[in-house]
Amino acid sequence: MLNVGFVEIEVGGRRSVGLDDLVRYPLFAPDFIAFLRRVMPVDRHAELVFSIVVTARKPRRSGSADGAERSRQVS
Amino acid sequence: MPYFRDDEARSIIRETYGQVESRTTAVADVIYTPGEIARLPRGAVELALGVGHPVAAAGLLPGETVLDLGCGAGIDTLLAAQAVAPGGKAIGVDMTPEMVRRARRHAEDARLSNVEIREGLMEALPLADESVDVAVSNGVFNLSTRMSRAFAETWRVLRPGGRLVFTDFVLNGTLPEDVLKSPAALAG
Repeated sequence: MLNVGFVEIEVGGRRSVGLDDLVRYPLFAPDFIAFLRRVMPVDRHAELVFSIVVTARKPRRSGSADGAERSRQVS
Repeated sequence: MPYFRDDEARSIIRETYGQVESRTTAVADVIYTPGEIARLPRGAVELALGVGHPVAAAGLLPGETVLDLGCGAGIDTLLAAQAVAPGGKAIGVDMTPEMVRRARRHAEDARLSNVEIREGLMEALPLADESVDVAVSNGVFNLSTRMSRAFAETWRVLRPGGRLVFTDFVLNGTLPEDVLKSPAALAG
């Protein structure tokens, strides 16, 4: 994101997601969850991944209104 | 080294998301408020597949134009459309034709006239330069095999000063090779 040019990048809202959370998702078939339980170390079952919230901004042009202001001006 | 070529990965993701069915609100119930769920078509709620609530985090304002990258069946697009009314609109983009059809149907069911759903890739967005105020995405960037390209495209369509707010899964450590090679893991 930095390479692209985004600024004010913030990462927050970190929350652990374990296998019991993934069960809720219809994307994951029961046999895939069973496969993960088999191949993943037990100590990672409760924290397989983290969910995060990322915010960033495209820099304003110097001297110009930001996006929200611009939108309100034209609406 | 990637385990799937770009075209293989897209094919797996399209097939997985195109076929997904759900008759529960188990995912939505832990992400969205009861009030939000009550304002949405049941089908959009049952097909919530996100990992967080980027629309709530985005602080949307009436009049803004919002892009939902990888909108799926449309739950975040619909919430964004409600948040930016009056005067604003929400544009959902998804690469899976079945999800595009579902999102359009859910927008009609919700009687929202400020929603547009387009089929396309987040690495080649079907939007004009500097045409949106806010881009949101929910658990989708991790599905891209060309994430830098997806960020560059988001940058292109954002107006100067525009915001990007997304939620996603991040791995806690490495995964065994058997998992990395699994199409089910790729699509999730």
